[in-house]
Amino acid sequence: MTENITDHSASKTKSVTETDAWTADNDVDLGILLELGSIGAGNAATSLSEIFQEPILIEVPKIHTLPPHLVPKFYQKHDVPTTAVYMQLRGEADCDMLLLFEVEEAKKIAAMMIRAPSPEDNDPEMEASAIQELGNIVIGSFLTALSDFTGVNLIPNPPQRVVDSFDAILDSFLIKQLLASDIAIVFDTYFKRADGNISGILMMFPSRQLQDVLIEKAKNWVR
Amino acid sequence: MLIPPFQPLFSINTLGVNLAKFPQNSANSPEATKTDLTPQLSPFMVFQNQPAPHIEEVRVNMAEMKVEDRPVALVTNVGSCVAVCIHDSNNKRGGLAHIMLPSSSVTRNKSFPLKYADTAVPALTGALRKLGKSSVALSAKTVGGANMFPNMRFITLNIGEKNVEAVKQALAAEGVRLLAEDVGGNCGRRVSFNVVDGSVRVRNGRREVKII
Repeated sequence: MTENITDHSASKTKSVTETDAWTADNDVDLGILLELGSIGAGNAATSLSEIFQEPILIEVPKIHTLPPHLVPKFYQKHDVPTTAVYMQLRGEADCDMLLLFEVEEAKKIAAMMIRAPSPEDNDPEMEASAIQELGNIVIGSFLTALSDFTGVNLIPNPPQRVVDSFDAILDSFLIKQLLASDIAIVFDTYFKRADGNISGILMMFPSRQLQDVLIEKAKNWVR
Repeated sequence: MLIPPFQPLFSINTLGVNLAKFPQNSANSPEATKTDLTPQLSPFMVFQNQPAPHIEEVRVNMAEMKVEDRPVALVTNVGSCVAVCIHDSNNKRGGLAHIMLPSSSVTRNKSFPLKYADTAVPALTGALRKLGKSSVALSAKTVGGANMFPNMRFITLNIGEKNVEAVKQALAAEGVRLLAEDVGGNCGRRVSFNVVDGSVRVRNGRREVKII
């Protein structure tokens, strides 16, 4: 005998957005956020290409709106050991940005950056520092694109690196998102090297305030 | 010179290998090598890179709760969230709830009770009591409540600690004894709760395994 009790909140999503008069609810606003994200991700990919001296591809960025607690289920990467660089953006509005690599891939990337002969020879401290710096550059260029386009002032805090399982890394952000609203807007994009052996995820949890500010400024710009 | 075989202080047979069949001291026995399968535990019961025993695993997602009486392990990953494992030793049955926030009073929307400690714990004990009819013996173990990013501003909320505290209060209110806990720190944990014997296998982000 088995009893599975699941929170079927996906079906309730509609009613939640109806009761909350939320600006990002309609497709146009989501489209604007997605466009801003694409510009940022393009900029980030350019700076990655410059670091590695070879072309870096980005997949078409995606924007997901779903209840925060369903995000880990959506990615299905529960136990995957992950290296993450976290940057908190402050200023006109708050935003959390995460750059996620699988641990093995982060090692390869660090080896390329510090010119180590192989990922196994990495000095752990150098590796940590290299990955943090990479996060700084990628998220920084994302931010530059965003503020060039909209004029929003966002000040990044120093990056912090953490190595843990995918779910455990995400859950602090999801809790924070849950405190703010019932729906998380997660923006993600994948980076790939031309030979396809390294990929990473850039994830953004914009606060509701930031979404409003971005949409407002982008609308003015479009007019 | 003959080196006497290493005698561990104590060991736990997590793989279900019958130790009596493999005498530890007979170095000449062809079966002696098989005893390597059993983990040699340090007094702290922490060991590295130990393969998990073979048991079917059922994944519990965030803000979900599952109750099983098949011989399976309920598995979940927690960081600042808390996994509440409640075992019914009379009926060899158990349930796991993955809670995210301490109290349902912090948000306006109360439609998802399994997110909150003060509503999920009564739901879990209620489900176990309903299945077990009159004869239940409930005991609880909690895992999680870590602080993943110690330097960051929003962690001044200390949501992990608050979660752990709220779970304790909810368990006390339900009259369920808290047997063991592995909480705090700044490391995520993978929880594997064997519903038959009530043991909880915790593997943290540094790949150290602990059985509580």
